[in-house]
Amino acid sequence: MVLKQKIHDAFKGTVERITSPRTVSAFKEKGVLSINEFILAGDNLVSKCPTWSWESGEPSKRKSYLPQDKQFLITRNVPCLRRAASIEEEYEAAGGEVLLDNEDNDGWLATHGKPKENKNDEDENLPSMESLEISKNNTIQSISSYFGGEEEEDIPDMAEFEDTDNVIENDPATLQTTYLMAQEPDDDNILRTRTYDVSITYDKYYQTPRVWLTGYDESRMLLQPELVLEDVSQDHARKTVTIEDHPHLPGKHASVHPCRHGAVMKKIIDVLMSRGVEPEVDKYLFLFLKFMASVIPTIEYDYTMDFDLGSSSS
Amino acid sequence: MVEEGKESILQFAPFQSAVDEGFWHRLSSLKLNKLGIDESPIPITGFFAPCSHNQVSNHLTLLAESLPPESSEQSFMPAISHGNRNRCPVPGILYNTNTLEGFQALDKQDLLRAEARKIWDDILSGKVEEDSSVLLRFLVISFADLKKWSFHYWFAFPALVLDPPATVVNLKPAAQWFNTEEAESITAACNDWRNMCSTTDVPFFLVSLSSGSVAAIRHLAEFEALQRDGHKVLFGFYDPCNLPNNPGWPLRNLLWFICRRWSLHKVQFFCYRENRGFADLEVSLVGEVSMPNSQELRNLQNMPNAVGWEINNRGRKASRCISLAKTMDPTRLAIEAA
Repeated sequence: MVLKQKIHDAFKGTVERITSPRTVSAFKEKGVLSINEFILAGDNLVSKCPTWSWESGEPSKRKSYLPQDKQFLITRNVPCLRRAASIEEEYEAAGGEVLLDNEDNDGWLATHGKPKENKNDEDENLPSMESLEISKNNTIQSISSYFGGEEEEDIPDMAEFEDTDNVIENDPATLQTTYLMAQEPDDDNILRTRTYDVSITYDKYYQTPRVWLTGYDESRMLLQPELVLEDVSQDHARKTVTIEDHPHLPGKHASVHPCRHGAVMKKIIDVLMSRGVEPEVDKYLFLFLKFMASVIPTIEYDYTMDFDLGSSSS
Repeated sequence: MVEEGKESILQFAPFQSAVDEGFWHRLSSLKLNKLGIDESPIPITGFFAPCSHNQVSNHLTLLAESLPPESSEQSFMPAISHGNRNRCPVPGILYNTNTLEGFQALDKQDLLRAEARKIWDDILSGKVEEDSSVLLRFLVISFADLKKWSFHYWFAFPALVLDPPATVVNLKPAAQWFNTEEAESITAACNDWRNMCSTTDVPFFLVSLSSGSVAAIRHLAEFEALQRDGHKVLFGFYDPCNLPNNPGWPLRNLLWFICRRWSLHKVQFFCYRENRGFADLEVSLVGEVSMPNSQELRNLQNMPNAVGWEINNRGRKASRCISLAKTMDPTRLAIEAA
């Protein structure tokens, strides 16, 4: 897997270097975004949903084609109360969502009702994923050892000096809490739940936004990426979600692979247009995040949209 | 909810820490390329924001940007850009030791007191009125084991202890405290405050209500002027806590500040919380506390006791440990890339 992915990465990197950034909008035609459109849509997201912010990330990883202070978008400490797997059944039963592209076995869910029949939907200008077959076995690295695991013996036994270390603070004004793993509120009414940092980067190769996930467990400790997959819809967990280097942050993070984003966004836009709604490009990320909610249904990031998606032509 | 007339001790939900992986990456690289065996404490910046999803508390977060940049030779103070509403900066200090033994041997009570002393001094000197974030100081002790890529660390959020503790006279959701007109005005004023680049990351403030129910958010320094003008004044703070019956940790040092500065016997406070990034008076709390012996406290000569070591992921007052060998160990990365 690694070799194949490396080759693809090298290829992708080269293409990214030699292709000039898209300047003509292909938002409606191909479901993709130019860099300026990404900034525009990001600014709109930040202003309507202030839990999102622009960040500049690692200076060494900065992309010259993006403004220094607008390298990527992030929302931190987003609650995730249940595992996606546990709600899969009720989710499938929910009427509004339709499986798109079933014939391709891509399994994307559209959240905007039944799409138009369109057999020949492959966009020839979209880079093909065929050279990068992500199969069930090679997508996921063996991560049982991530952050510890097999190297347990290397970590000094904390219990040994915990006792000598104990700091005793008798203070009646401190609310005593315990770090129990619990999905439901426990006696002291404190809900222990996983949280996520969700970031959106611009993928220059696919010309679409790309979502990255960093998980934290119930006691705010970094979650192994393998466990992050429990919060991804099972249709996608082994196929479209990969664990890769983040383009702006250190470390490996789970990411929804963007190879089909353009095509799915194009379908969503088509559905809207067939209903007489003219989608506006600065609303792209709201549509995109609604679509992402089918991949990560239990991560409660904000994409509230209490306004019209576009100007209605009717 | 607390019934009126039945007073109980006001209990604060402890601050919680979260450390971004990027922080450890930058610390490792600083240690290897710049600090060497120098164990001097490093000024760092933590970030927090008011509670924004009502199911979870917000926490104090360390990011790569919390540390000074590796490249700058001269300045050791981290360059923090202000004006990001989701990143209110808090001054902190990092004691990173060279050995595990050194880490264990640190005098934790002493370090906590030293940090609490700064808060105390800033309360006495009035510095709090210029930069209220100094009420939230924190410290971190750590040992970065760069051979195994594991990190031992422990946070403390120093809080000055009121003795005897403040008692609750009344505590309820802000929406029930104010009438509709006041609530609307306060919501609008808070959203304006949070949308202004210059005030969005100022964590302590005053909520003033004029006789005509018009609300305004003001800086702490304006307290006396507002009182003179006959405004009703509440002490507000960005509350990272989401609990319906407890204010968060930042209120502790604020109460000491109020007590020391104005010697009030009764204090009304406003725990400012948001829902999806906007002021939400349903989850925000308003409380009234009574401060026993406020006159005595005002004249206290010595610094009060301080508490604040965080409990770890096993629920104990002890350090935490994280291993990042998977993403930092060059040997492993090389094998993986082969």
